[in-house]
Amino acid sequence: MNQFGVDHRTNSGIDCLYLRGYLDAHTAPQLESALGNLVEKGKNKVVVNFNDLDYISSAGLGVFMVFIEDVRAAGGDIKLSEMKPKVYNVFDLLGFPLLFEIYNADGEAVSKFESAGAENAAE
Amino acid sequence: MQQNNATYNTEICASGDTAELAKIRAFVEERALKFGFSEADVMKITLAVDEACSNLVRHAYHHDKNEQFCVRVETKGDQFIVSILDNGPTFNPLNVASPDMKEYFKKLKPGGLGVQIMRMVMDELSYIPASQTQPQNALRLAKNLR
Repeated sequence: MNQFGVDHRTNSGIDCLYLRGYLDAHTAPQLESALGNLVEKGKNKVVVNFNDLDYISSAGLGVFMVFIEDVRAAGGDIKLSEMKPKVYNVFDLLGFPLLFEIYNADGEAVSKFESAGAENAAE
Repeated sequence: MQQNNATYNTEICASGDTAELAKIRAFVEERALKFGFSEADVMKITLAVDEACSNLVRHAYHHDKNEQFCVRVETKGDQFIVSILDNGPTFNPLNVASPDMKEYFKKLKPGGLGVQIMRMVMDELSYIPASQTQPQNALRLAKNLR
């Protein structure tokens, strides 16, 4: 059974990961590997799209915790978008929306990176 | 409500492999829906069972596929009870202190949230260690149909 998948695309130069299926203790290592590959290459601005993700457990939440400190220290972020209510509810249960920016669309998340980049360039 | 049908399985067994989590979730989800829970509550129950089984496979069985555990669903009045029966070393996960989420976010370290989720979404949790009369450890997660 193909439970989980992750695709990588770039949107206006920002790396976007598209998740699908079920993100649990079995499949979380696949996401960790995909995010790790980006971070290792110094790509610290990442949008993760949840539109086709139907389930997440704490093992999935933990993957974001692995990388968030490093990407933010490098001036980047992991921004999340297009979460179904049932997936958002799991994030919300533990207070994760306080830690992560969650957007309704990838474009909004990408724009946030662009506007933050423009502010930094102006400083 | 749950069917009183002898062929309707109330227990599923799995090996110490996280690949088994999906079938356990499907098993619990189907029975919780039949019992009459809302989709939101079904998701919570399924998540709690997933967290319990994930912890078991990882910490008690160390991903040993030769090990086995079983998940049993029972109903008692308005209560939906899921018992997770294992042959691992006796370990009561309910003795694990709940993380302070403010501290958790400050430290930004993954893991340790499974028991917290179980506590948040279920109404009753209990743990009965293996004994002479009961050969397996039993973690019991119960939720009331409101």
